[in-house]
Amino acid sequence: MSLTDTPMPLSMDVVERSDNRMVLSMGPQHPSTHGVLQVITEIEGETVVRAEPEIGYLHTGIEKSAENLFWTQASTVVERMDYLSPLSNAMAYVLGVEKLLGVTDLVPQRAQQLRILLCELSRIASHCVWLGTGGIDLGAISGFFYCFDLRERILDLNEFSGGARMHPNYLRIGGLRDDIPEGFLEKLDELIAMYYPRMRELRALLQKNPILQDRMIDVGILSAEDAIAWGVTGPSLRAAGVAYDVRKAFPYSGYEQLDFDIPTRTEGDAYARFLVRLDEMDESMSIIEQIRENLAGGPVMAADTKFAPPPKETIAVSMEALIHHFKYVSESFRVPPGDVYSPVEGPRGETGYYLVSNGDNRPWRVRTRPASLYNLQVLKKIAVGEFIADMVVMIGSLDPVFGEVDR
Amino acid sequence: MPSSQTPPAGATAVDPTAVRPPIDDARIIRTSPEQLRAELTALKNDGFTMLLDVGGVDYLERTPRFDVVYHLLGGITTAQPERVRVLCGVDGPEPTLPTVSDLWPSANWAEREVFDLFGIRFAGHPDLRRIQMPDEWVGHPLRKDYPLRGPALERTPRPSFALKSNVAAGTPAFGKTAAALQRQIVAARSHVPNGDDSVAAAHSGSDPGAAPTAGDASTTELAAEKNAARGGQLPKDGAK
Repeated sequence: MSLTDTPMPLSMDVVERSDNRMVLSMGPQHPSTHGVLQVITEIEGETVVRAEPEIGYLHTGIEKSAENLFWTQASTVVERMDYLSPLSNAMAYVLGVEKLLGVTDLVPQRAQQLRILLCELSRIASHCVWLGTGGIDLGAISGFFYCFDLRERILDLNEFSGGARMHPNYLRIGGLRDDIPEGFLEKLDELIAMYYPRMRELRALLQKNPILQDRMIDVGILSAEDAIAWGVTGPSLRAAGVAYDVRKAFPYSGYEQLDFDIPTRTEGDAYARFLVRLDEMDESMSIIEQIRENLAGGPVMAADTKFAPPPKETIAVSMEALIHHFKYVSESFRVPPGDVYSPVEGPRGETGYYLVSNGDNRPWRVRTRPASLYNLQVLKKIAVGEFIADMVVMIGSLDPVFGEVDR
Repeated sequence: MPSSQTPPAGATAVDPTAVRPPIDDARIIRTSPEQLRAELTALKNDGFTMLLDVGGVDYLERTPRFDVVYHLLGGITTAQPERVRVLCGVDGPEPTLPTVSDLWPSANWAEREVFDLFGIRFAGHPDLRRIQMPDEWVGHPLRKDYPLRGPALERTPRPSFALKSNVAAGTPAFGKTAAALQRQIVAARSHVPNGDDSVAAAHSGSDPGAAPTAGDASTTELAAEKNAARGGQLPKDGAK
């Protein structure tokens, strides 16, 4: 029986073998695992013969929680899954509920544009975390501060519009909770003005860095066939040469009216994934600028009080508004029976929500298609034959978020 | 006002997927466990090269009880990809489906998760272990008959002095345990041990010495009921 056929032991024991192979457990308490990931690796010398990621350390039962909340409340917990880009989760969820309600067309244009704007901002913020922590994994600590500075400014905007830095619950079924506050667009202009110089600095610091290039080029190569077979989406798929992006293939919320490119590479290694993400940040900023220029006026919440709360200022003066508000808050609304799959392009790939309603005011089932789970699973494939020291590079280049992997 | 902790009102005997509004999100195919492999193999040969997700749904009162949902994506390298959703009903005390992890390696973890959280087995899966929950966990949390806050197996019988407290239980109990606790609390507050009238008559005066004995007695009763609850109510898991 060959050694690779034997079941992987699940303990920290280093198993003595006669042929210099040993089993090494990395994580779950390891700074470069970007969360709580355990990778049980079988190594021969310094080469990985087999790697088995063990997940579940952050399982919090979010899907179960969401089933026990109102439709209006579940958007709060789904934001906790991909905590680096909460808005893309909320986006997929509210779009799905709107499809079930059949009210997609009733969402005002301004709300749709602002949703895209905020989602693209959170994509940049998420990639900032990936870039900063990915650099730290390789010993490049300076980039981290520049990245987190940029991210902090985006989180300031989140706080300014939604009231919270990370989980604003700003996207609601039917539109947005509130219009953006006065002064938001000026702050956004400041961000746009500082973004490009900052990215030039970051690229100069990291992209051309010979040490980082040495560590990333030809490491963790993922071919297009493997990426497709393993369900990899997002930048990791596009770095393998497949230009699949939900925003282009299945446009939602008005992405079809925007002019942007899908950056792709063909090498499929960690460096290609690195470059694709950097290019994606620029594309996101170009989308933000387009929306900034063409932002429509008008309301940000649908006017139908069957699924949307009445404007706050009417509650004190209108009996009907008060009743609608009370009903909205105390028992939410009923969603017609049915099921829907609602995908969006999150920073890590296709984030999809399979929602089932039985006609009640709570979802019967909220199933997330977690992009990180499938992206991380492929580590089993790409780690084989690489050096154990490159494991952190490969994990970093796949950019998993464990709130989403474990849910 | 319904609390956020109350479970959804009523299970669904109807099938939401059968009465869904016309939403253009994917082509939908419903199949049976016998046809599943053939159906998915044909789809894969038809160009649906990516298996995006495998998820489960528990409809509780419907027959078949569970749906396993396969989300497929085809024509991924073209400008117009296509989506297909394959729903497969599965039922029985040990619901089992054939694995597709040999067709798409992405199904490996997805099927493990469906097994872990719904208890649906996948015959032929190379490594069907729990993935999210601890290996020694009992029960499948996403089943609709699994309580939201867990089975509270770790609850120890409350000490007799706690029965005098006017603070209710720390961890919410459920089912028989909850009923037993409620009876205990009522009995302790009214100094009526076990709610038994004859004993109540004996101790109708305010005799403080009677309370610890009463507490012990009802604690034993609670333990007995808890054992019954463990045996009777919790889903058995023969996987480990």
